Amino acid sequence: MGVPRALPPGTAAEAAPGYPPGTPALVELQGITKAFPGVLANDAVDLTVMPGEIHALLGENGAGKSTLMNILTGIYQPDAGTIILDGYARPLPSPQAAIAAGIGMVHQHFKLVPAFTVAENIHLGWSQTPRHASASALEARTRALAERFNLAVRPEAVVGDLSAGEQQRVEILRVLARDARLLILDEPTAVLTPAEARELFSALRTFRASGNAVIFISHKLDEVVAIADRISVLRGGRKVATRSAAGADERSLAALMVGHDITLRRTRRRAPGTPVSAAPVLELDRVSARDDRGLPALREVTLALHGGEILGIAGVAGNGQRELSQVVTGMRPVAQGTVRIDGRPVARPDAAAFAAAGIGHIPEDRLRSGLAPDLSVTDNAVLRDYAGPRIGRGGLFRPWEAARLARTLAADAAVAVPDFGMPIRNLSGGNQQRLVARREIRVAGRVLVAAYPSRGLDVGAIDTLLSYLAELRDQGRAVLLFSEELEEILTLADRVAVLFAGRIMGVMPAAEADVETLGLMMGGRDGRA
Amino acid sequence: MSWRLQRVPTVPAGAALIGRIGAIVLALACVAAVLALAGSAPARLGAEVIGSAFGSVAGLEDLGLLVTPLILTGIAVALTQRIGLWNIGGEGQFNAGALAATAVGLNLGGDEVWMLPLMALAGAAGGAAWILVPTLARALAGVSELITTLLLNFVAALLVAWLCTGAWRDPSGQALATTARIPTELPPLGDTLHWGFPASVAVAILAAGLLAYTRFGYEVRIAGANPGAALYAGIPVRARIVAVMLLSGAVAGLAGMIELTGTVHRLQGGISNNYGYLGIMVAVLARGSCLGVIAGAVLMAALLNAGIVLQTQGVTTSTVLAITGLILLFTAIGDELVHYRPVRRTGTVG
Amino acid sequence: MELITGILSTALLAGGVLALAALGEVLAERVGVVNLGVEGLMSLGALTGIATVAAAPSPVLGFAAALGVGFAFGCVFAAATVLLRANQVLCGLALTLLGSGLAATLGRSYAGAPAAASFPRVVVPGLSEIPVLGPALFSQNLLIYAIYIALPVGLHLLLFKTRHGLNLRAVGENPAAADAAGIPVTAIRFWYVALGSSLAGGAGAYLTLAFVPSWSEGVVAGRGWIAVALVIFAGFRPLTAVAAALLFGVVTALGFVGQARGWPVAPAILSMLPYLGTVAFIILPVVAWRRLRGWFAAPAALGLPYHRDVR
Repeated sequence: MGVPRALPPGTAAEAAPGYPPGTPALVELQGITKAFPGVLANDAVDLTVMPGEIHALLGENGAGKSTLMNILTGIYQPDAGTIILDGYARPLPSPQAAIAAGIGMVHQHFKLVPAFTVAENIHLGWSQTPRHASASALEARTRALAERFNLAVRPEAVVGDLSAGEQQRVEILRVLARDARLLILDEPTAVLTPAEARELFSALRTFRASGNAVIFISHKLDEVVAIADRISVLRGGRKVATRSAAGADERSLAALMVGHDITLRRTRRRAPGTPVSAAPVLELDRVSARDDRGLPALREVTLALHGGEILGIAGVAGNGQRELSQVVTGMRPVAQGTVRIDGRPVARPDAAAFAAAGIGHIPEDRLRSGLAPDLSVTDNAVLRDYAGPRIGRGGLFRPWEAARLARTLAADAAVAVPDFGMPIRNLSGGNQQRLVARREIRVAGRVLVAAYPSRGLDVGAIDTLLSYLAELRDQGRAVLLFSEELEEILTLADRVAVLFAGRIMGVMPAAEADVETLGLMMGGRDGRA
Repeated sequence: MSWRLQRVPTVPAGAALIGRIGAIVLALACVAAVLALAGSAPARLGAEVIGSAFGSVAGLEDLGLLVTPLILTGIAVALTQRIGLWNIGGEGQFNAGALAATAVGLNLGGDEVWMLPLMALAGAAGGAAWILVPTLARALAGVSELITTLLLNFVAALLVAWLCTGAWRDPSGQALATTARIPTELPPLGDTLHWGFPASVAVAILAAGLLAYTRFGYEVRIAGANPGAALYAGIPVRARIVAVMLLSGAVAGLAGMIELTGTVHRLQGGISNNYGYLGIMVAVLARGSCLGVIAGAVLMAALLNAGIVLQTQGVTTSTVLAITGLILLFTAIGDELVHYRPVRRTGTVG
Repeated sequence: MELITGILSTALLAGGVLALAALGEVLAERVGVVNLGVEGLMSLGALTGIATVAAAPSPVLGFAAALGVGFAFGCVFAAATVLLRANQVLCGLALTLLGSGLAATLGRSYAGAPAAASFPRVVVPGLSEIPVLGPALFSQNLLIYAIYIALPVGLHLLLFKTRHGLNLRAVGENPAAADAAGIPVTAIRFWYVALGSSLAGGAGAYLTLAFVPSWSEGVVAGRGWIAVALVIFAGFRPLTAVAAALLFGVVTALGFVGQARGWPVAPAILSMLPYLGTVAFIILPVVAWRRLRGWFAAPAALGLPYHRDVR
């Protein structure tokens, strides 16, 4: 155990009314500071979590939430600051130490071994795993644990084959099995349908009832207000406020998050009388496609996208969005069915030909597929134009012309680039994304496919980006918008389609859609029934 | 107040160069220390080595003879590095190129002007043929090219040795394990040096131009840096892999042809003299830059030359190989260490 | 009959060398590190074995010394790749060049001469009289039973039936997940890479003290690379790795027997068999048995350095 502090942490009880004075906080962070190259991720952050509370941690992307939690789970070491558990200062030099102290985390990107079974994953690195660990013994133990914590998992299933929601249950079970008293959840609802999220919330309330605590990380204001007892807001690496959830209103929380008053989500309805093209510019006719492992991912999808409209695709991540976005941009071959551009069937998928036909693509994972991070800003800027006449005439590559185009794009995107020859990874994530967006809008003469365009951006940048999409629509081009946030789709799109298990569950005008119906459809139920 | 190390994702070129030089100096210092312990005077030996290589025209020409094949085998590795692959079969492709050139030279031999281009073509084709199976396995089935290219080195060496002691043995009976002298020769350039040297420099410049100033080169860069981005942009990655690997094999095969017609003039076992393996070192020193390969080849040749000069000191080509390994190890470590910056842990702020 | 006995007897010896080295590589690759320095480690082990028995004529001592040298160089490799996280391919190639070059330089005085002592054959009474198989299986040095039975079975149980094995496989599959679960990733990687290297050193000594038995420059002749390839062919599992090694022992033995009996195939072609066979065997499974791709899958984090405190 660590060194007992001279004074009981009275501040904790003060900050959390309803506790007798002198009650030690379950966790108290004091002055936590952590720097990464070019970023001060945490700057003297104080945070107190009492036993029996659900404490929400609210903040934009890059506000320092994940870093703070990685410090609390022993993965990162703070540059400065103290961690106090149950009134005792205790360094957490490793994940082992954090687990031993009763701190468990369910990461946003699950820390599971995809090739292992559920039972093997539950027993990883656990001192209570029997030394002779045969598959059957581990599965029997897992079954018992699943029963004890009332979490339905299949012990013998391979984790890589499970849905994101099932994987989350495995992670939670693993944490609970290790007798965690503090459960940290990082953006847990991103992979859940509304119904699954409600189940999770009731499980968390049960956990809280036995004197345990939860830290709930999110950027969704409504669910934070619904589930939390107290809410702490992080902005730019600093903690700017801790509020009681009772009586907190979303608008003021949003202002705290962003740092200035904002109008919550402007609607960008089309100007009345904006024309929609009669014939679809892009059409899918009973298209089926397989994922990277060869399993069916899209089943008989039929969609028609018209010029001058935004079609939103709603659904829980992992229901075929990735494959759909790749099929409509020529990156993935179709197993069955026809893709038509301007009424003409596409003979074979060719991403370069789709781009040349005026289909731009802001991909889901910018760094993994939209950019080559190690190459220069210039090389990345011309990914769509290198074969064009200016840069690529006669099979050559003209670096000076490439640099000129790169400067134009950077100016349009309002990104300051000190040196176009440096690797693009040296730019901030937001700037990389703005460059990709500009590059793709430039080629999107007919259609822009935007997969999760707001992911990883701060509120101001999201606003700019979404207004680009509305502008494109008003110019008569078509936009296919993938998003995991219903609100974003409902405020921006003209029509909404819901994707579940690779099928289109239904398409409806956004004006007629309501969250409840969409939620049902996202969970696989027929919304009309 | 304490310090910790922080890793930065990209390193400026200057720091990377300093890392390289540091690694080489450290490795050579290790060697000098061993020599000193063994009772030699490293300073005197070093002076002798440098004097023999750079001190006279003859020394420089000899150095040039070593630089020539090293540039080409280095380019062979650097090309595949650009698309994110390793061709460590340069040794085998070198042998295969020499073998194919010999087949042409012995059977069609003469001093007609078209003989040299024909032999060069044969050499390049031989090298490309030798990497064909690993190439197809990599491009079509995703089989790691590391081991397939390497294993074929042994096959090529056995094949050359077998032909030289058997079917292709010098019929005059003077030599036991070589073919007859090949009548076609590269024109000389000085006393010992030949036109293979400027030719290999030209190949390096051409390769650099291909990568920097053609669409093909751009597509290779993208495919090598991020295959996902290549798929996204519609670049045919498999076709580019096939082209680059075959080109790489052809350049290594050309090295074999040039060594044969310029320096050795007979096919014999061991003609490749580890040039294929040393080419890996050359490319790594050059950080995959084709023009940098020229500098890397000079450095490597100086090292090889040192091995020759120091033979009386008990140094052999194997010793040079060991020293090369040491430099490579230090370079790999140095490449990672230059990513780290010391950062001060501050006290609690505010 | 005699022919089969001969082939099998030689195959066991030749395969034993490959099996030891391949088992070492299985350990390293299961924790996520590609060690391409096996060839160099085997060269060093081969020389260490010969030099040790020249000083003290005990093959056991020679083998132990080779294990030690393999371990020492393995620690250097692990320090570079696991602690400093340098590029694994480069460090492996460096170790191969360094080991082969160093062994050749230091070993000149031993070149050509037979080993001063080698592992004696132990004839198991009774069993060795079984026709055909008896002389091949039960008239061998004792180490061969360790290589073909004790070691692979032990490693199989360790990897797939124990808690520790579960943890170490997790390190090779997903070090970030293993780390978050509290498994000491760096320590596990370091020690298993060093241990694997030690086995490679032992494989070299087994080559020069039991199989050849003598030292010459280039005696390892690519066996280290074949061992690396076998691990892929064997799906990164100890039992199949040993079986695959025996298969390649048969291929090698065919070459020897063919030469000895004057088969109408050029000896050089027979010598190529192991290399060509290896190339064929690492390509074939991928092409022919696509459905079994999962079985042949490499540990997911193979070759990737793990940085915890970096984002």
